[in-house]
Amino acid sequence: MECRETQTLLTAFHDGELPAVERVRVEEHLRGCPECAARLADLARADRAAGVPDPGPAYWDRFNARVMDRVAREADGPRVTVLRPKGGWVRQQLRYLVPAAAAAALVVMVVRYGGIDSGAPTPTVPPAVSERAAPDSAGERMAKADPESDGQGWPGAGAGRDATGSGSQARATKKAESRADARRVPPPVLANERLAAVSREERDRPADRSVPEGNEEASRDRVTAPAAIGVPSPPPMTFRGAPAGSPPVTAADGMTQGSQAERKKMERAAAPMAEQQGAGKATSASGMRVAKEASPGSPCELARALAERERFREAEAAQRACLAQNPSAKAQERGLVFLAELLDRQARFAEADAVITDVDRQFPQSRPLELYRRQRPTVQRQPTAVPVTR
Amino acid sequence: MRADLEGEKDERLAALAAGGDRDAFDALVTRHRQAVYRLCWSAAGNAADADDAAQETFVRVHRSLPSYDPARPFGPWLRKIAWNCGLSVRRDGNSGVQRVAEGDAPEAIDPAPGPEEAAVGSEERRQMAGALAGLPAELRMVMVLRAVEGLSYAEIALAAGIPAGTVMSRLSRARKRLLAALGARCGGGS
Repeated sequence: MECRETQTLLTAFHDGELPAVERVRVEEHLRGCPECAARLADLARADRAAGVPDPGPAYWDRFNARVMDRVAREADGPRVTVLRPKGGWVRQQLRYLVPAAAAAALVVMVVRYGGIDSGAPTPTVPPAVSERAAPDSAGERMAKADPESDGQGWPGAGAGRDATGSGSQARATKKAESRADARRVPPPVLANERLAAVSREERDRPADRSVPEGNEEASRDRVTAPAAIGVPSPPPMTFRGAPAGSPPVTAADGMTQGSQAERKKMERAAAPMAEQQGAGKATSASGMRVAKEASPGSPCELARALAERERFREAEAAQRACLAQNPSAKAQERGLVFLAELLDRQARFAEADAVITDVDRQFPQSRPLELYRRQRPTVQRQPTAVPVTR
Repeated sequence: MRADLEGEKDERLAALAAGGDRDAFDALVTRHRQAVYRLCWSAAGNAADADDAAQETFVRVHRSLPSYDPARPFGPWLRKIAWNCGLSVRRDGNSGVQRVAEGDAPEAIDPAPGPEEAAVGSEERRQMAGALAGLPAELRMVMVLRAVEGLSYAEIALAAGIPAGTVMSRLSRARKRLLAALGARCGGGS
């Protein structure tokens, strides 16, 4: 055996994967060839470099307990996954609740700060509202609560007002009244806090619209959970807190520099959520955001658009083109599940089965697939009745 | 670990755990935690992410046990989940190669080395960890499964979802790169 041939077999020889006959031949060659023997030694050296650092016994002592703790928390605690778009209900609620709450908070801010410097009675806490037993909407609760009264106001609100520099006695009186009212009512659920939290998280994630699929659920939870938990039903979009005789309040009316800054802050807080709603529109029955990363006019976008019009065969072709264009694991995982759905909707169940098997093989525990599996019976029963995306 | 569980096969333990036997699940964790951690490390490329991924692996396993078919081998199933968790954490944290390559690799345990020996060993381990972390993830995976876990080509192929021939070629490339990296770190010699 020559060196050249030996060296092609050396990896398999080293790994014990060579058939007996060839193994003997390689061994014979190695006995008389120091160069090949040195190469074999190199393979062993490379293997030693593959050793993974062990975190040590103290780490392992705690490992099982930590796993059990996480398992128990997942089982006992309020599962965050409840908020995931399992059945579509939560997602549907969020579609209205989140922008409504953001808009309500914006309106309240405009009303609140719009009236401060105009000399008009504060529209924030009118007696007619504050005397009621309990607030019945987010707007009212937020209107009744002075963010500074209990230290739970959202950051910057107080600073914004201080920045106006007016400091009039009337304002101080209004603030005192407001505090008194806030004490009378139950502790409010400060939806603006949650909105601010959401906006902060959104801002902290640098343009991360393509979250890795393994943790996308967690990211989705981070974004949706606070709003979903605390945001009450959509508040009426009227200035219920404004006194009857007060002039209509607009965003520009009487807004101080500080309050304008607050308004901008609110708009920034609302923007990512509005964007999220836009993404939500591209949600298929399987709960996946199929066109999230699709650029306008891309095959991915086309597939979604065609599916919306129940032109599933054409959508399938576009989706296949989309898959060919996006080799990333995340795009493949979601895209294949979407493809399976499109096949199901054409009653091509065997082909859909094959795609699902492929997803299962490539992406074990795939969340998009899990979501789709739950809805698949419905899709298969009524393949063309329901549009894939909304 | 409960004495009666020690000799049980993984698949049997998984079936017991799926039925709510916490001891059986604990036994599975104990039995596989180091292999899972190593695999997660090879996917994630650093200790912090490997820890997170290893924990998440077992949480996912626990969650999926009711749907696990004991007729299927447990090991490849577990390894696949671990690998995906490791990759997922790595993508999420945008960490991995660089962090370890910069010397973030944790200390390996060593049976009581002397001070000098410890210093040399530590440096060598750091170099090795950096060299491994410098490999692309798919090469790290086959290297760890082969060189650390001692899996056969067929087993690696099953875990990685690639043909056995690809396993061999990836191993060959991985070793070449490791040797080149180690050579460069040692001043281009050896």
